[in-house]
Amino acid sequence: MKFTDQFRFVRQNMKKNKTRLFMTVLATAMGCTFLIVLASVGFGLQKSIVDQMVVDRMVTAIDIYGIESENEVDRVIGAKNIEYLRSVDHVKAVTYRNYVQQPLNPTVDGAAASSNGTVNVDFDAETKAGFGLSSGRLPQKPDEVVIGFNIRETREGASEGEGNKPKADTPPAKEWLGKVMSLQVRQLAEDGTEQTATIPVTIVGISEKPSREWETDTFVYIGNEILTRIESFTQTQWGAMLLPADKDNPDSANGNQPLGLQDPRQYNSVQAIADGANHVKGIAEEIREKGYYSHSIANELKQVNLVFLIMKIGLGFVGTIAVLIASIGIFNTMTMAVTERAQDIGIMKAIGAHPSTIRRIFLLESSMIGLLGAIIGTAVAYVISIAVNIGLPLVIEGFMEERVPEDFIFSLIPPYLAAIAFLISLGVALLSGSRPAKRATRIDVLRALRRDI
Amino acid sequence: MIEMIQVNHQFAIGKKGKERVVPVLHDIDLHVKQGEIVAIVGRSGSGKSTLLNLMSGYIRPTSGTIRVADQEVTSLSEGEWANFRLAHLGFMFQSFQLIPSMTAFENAELPLVLKGIGVTQRKKRVMELLEQVGVAEYAGHYPGELSGGQQQRVSVARSLILNPPIVLADEPTGSLDSDNERQLLSLIQHLNQDRGTTFVLITHDEQVASIAHRTVSLKDGYLLNADKKEGIFAHEIH
Repeated sequence: MKFTDQFRFVRQNMKKNKTRLFMTVLATAMGCTFLIVLASVGFGLQKSIVDQMVVDRMVTAIDIYGIESENEVDRVIGAKNIEYLRSVDHVKAVTYRNYVQQPLNPTVDGAAASSNGTVNVDFDAETKAGFGLSSGRLPQKPDEVVIGFNIRETREGASEGEGNKPKADTPPAKEWLGKVMSLQVRQLAEDGTEQTATIPVTIVGISEKPSREWETDTFVYIGNEILTRIESFTQTQWGAMLLPADKDNPDSANGNQPLGLQDPRQYNSVQAIADGANHVKGIAEEIREKGYYSHSIANELKQVNLVFLIMKIGLGFVGTIAVLIASIGIFNTMTMAVTERAQDIGIMKAIGAHPSTIRRIFLLESSMIGLLGAIIGTAVAYVISIAVNIGLPLVIEGFMEERVPEDFIFSLIPPYLAAIAFLISLGVALLSGSRPAKRATRIDVLRALRRDI
Repeated sequence: MIEMIQVNHQFAIGKKGKERVVPVLHDIDLHVKQGEIVAIVGRSGSGKSTLLNLMSGYIRPTSGTIRVADQEVTSLSEGEWANFRLAHLGFMFQSFQLIPSMTAFENAELPLVLKGIGVTQRKKRVMELLEQVGVAEYAGHYPGELSGGQQQRVSVARSLILNPPIVLADEPTGSLDSDNERQLLSLIQHLNQDRGTTFVLITHDEQVASIAHRTVSLKDGYLLNADKKEGIFAHEIH
């Protein structure tokens, strides 16, 4: 018997008792919806919380805070440590952020930028780590720099004497792409007078917009070549200015003067970037053995994800119980259908219907019920999920006077969750129909023909 | 065409564990040749229907061998019997056994559907046969909307739709008036002559038996001397 004919049979049979069919499909759909919506809460909360954790942080990054040592001076990360970290297996780059220790008052076309600092980075390492740019590119020449996304905010208005303008009116930083920025480096001469040098640099990139609303990036990112030019003028590490000598006690400033170029360097905000999230643990263990203090978001994520995995399994289990309850309805419907059609089945068997054909027809019918229930249930689950994500923050704000973070989602249905729920509903429907289908194949022809079933 | 050798059959009745065995057929030896119309007659309870059910595979003999269309069928599985029925047998029932939720057309085409024949071929074949048995105009009617004679014609169309070499008929005229009975018997004779179809007819009716080439009689599960057509009914009556 062809599949199309089996399908036609099933459709004819299903039309015989539409109310019963409707109720069975409804029960299956409700079970499927319940399963998806429950699990989607686990997925939604996990995503929102993990997103909050990893925003601006790479899961492949390992923060290095220092190195174990009895001597305080030796706890800081120096050039040798950077070299070691670069040599560790599966570390693709080591990045750092070192602040130039004086304001360079950057200007472009005579307009002051609202920069709150200049940061020295290793652009070769940043290229490998994936420095986030909103426009432009990373520097390729010694005099090229990247500027922060918000570098033109606030001070533009202030310079025009209008106070801080709303951010919407601030011209975008990318308008400065390709322009020359002047950096003013100052240093005290031996006679105590302040001397200034201007370093022209070219803006080639704009950093990524900070993901958190309250964050701003107004830094100027410079490479090692520009830092060298600054330091050659100041003759101090990180361009720090010398302290003026106290007239009464000329020796007082000497002990607190900034480090000179010959002194060992200290690197800040050091990160080792792994070439894959699966290598983070191994790298962290290896450098921990060498005495490095480190922390990785991957460690936190692992624990959080484990908690949510358990939560999702629990919610999915509760949801599956709902589908199993719905399966009782399918079993009942199919058993009734077999009983009602016993004579028809007997006649079909009497003229040559194969038992497997009879079984397939009933299995097809129960799977059709499961399929209809799963389709409707999945569609309703998506609608509920959207409604929850829109409605719940409003309810929380309205009744609890708490503000839900922007982009926080309570319910998330990844395609594979819908697919799993779909398969569970279909599988349970098939399982529910299997016993009645088997019963149908065992109907006695003679009893059916005598109509005494 | 059909060969029954030393076939015995008995039913077990009563509750499980306390069954009582009731013998129904004893040492049946029956040979039906190809193209023959054989009538099996006998009183109620003589075992006629059981004999036909054994030939149909609805029940299995307690002992003995049955061969149908040169195939030993005694040991066939249920699935094999299903395929065998579709390939070799047509069935006519006293109470027509049409499926009420299907139209006359759908009932007649059922064996073709089970055999997996395509829609176009099915439609052509069914309409030809319904035309032949005189109910083409009722093709779209449900059994409940047809008279007994019309229903039996649809049932006949269903039994012949796959051109089976053997047709087993259990009281085929039992629910028909004399006019419809006459027409059905004429159709059976026609099919036998034109196509060489073998018919085994179970009947109480002397008129039905009269079209048979050979009549065999059953009494209390025993097959009586069946070679002579004449006198069997007289023997049964007395």
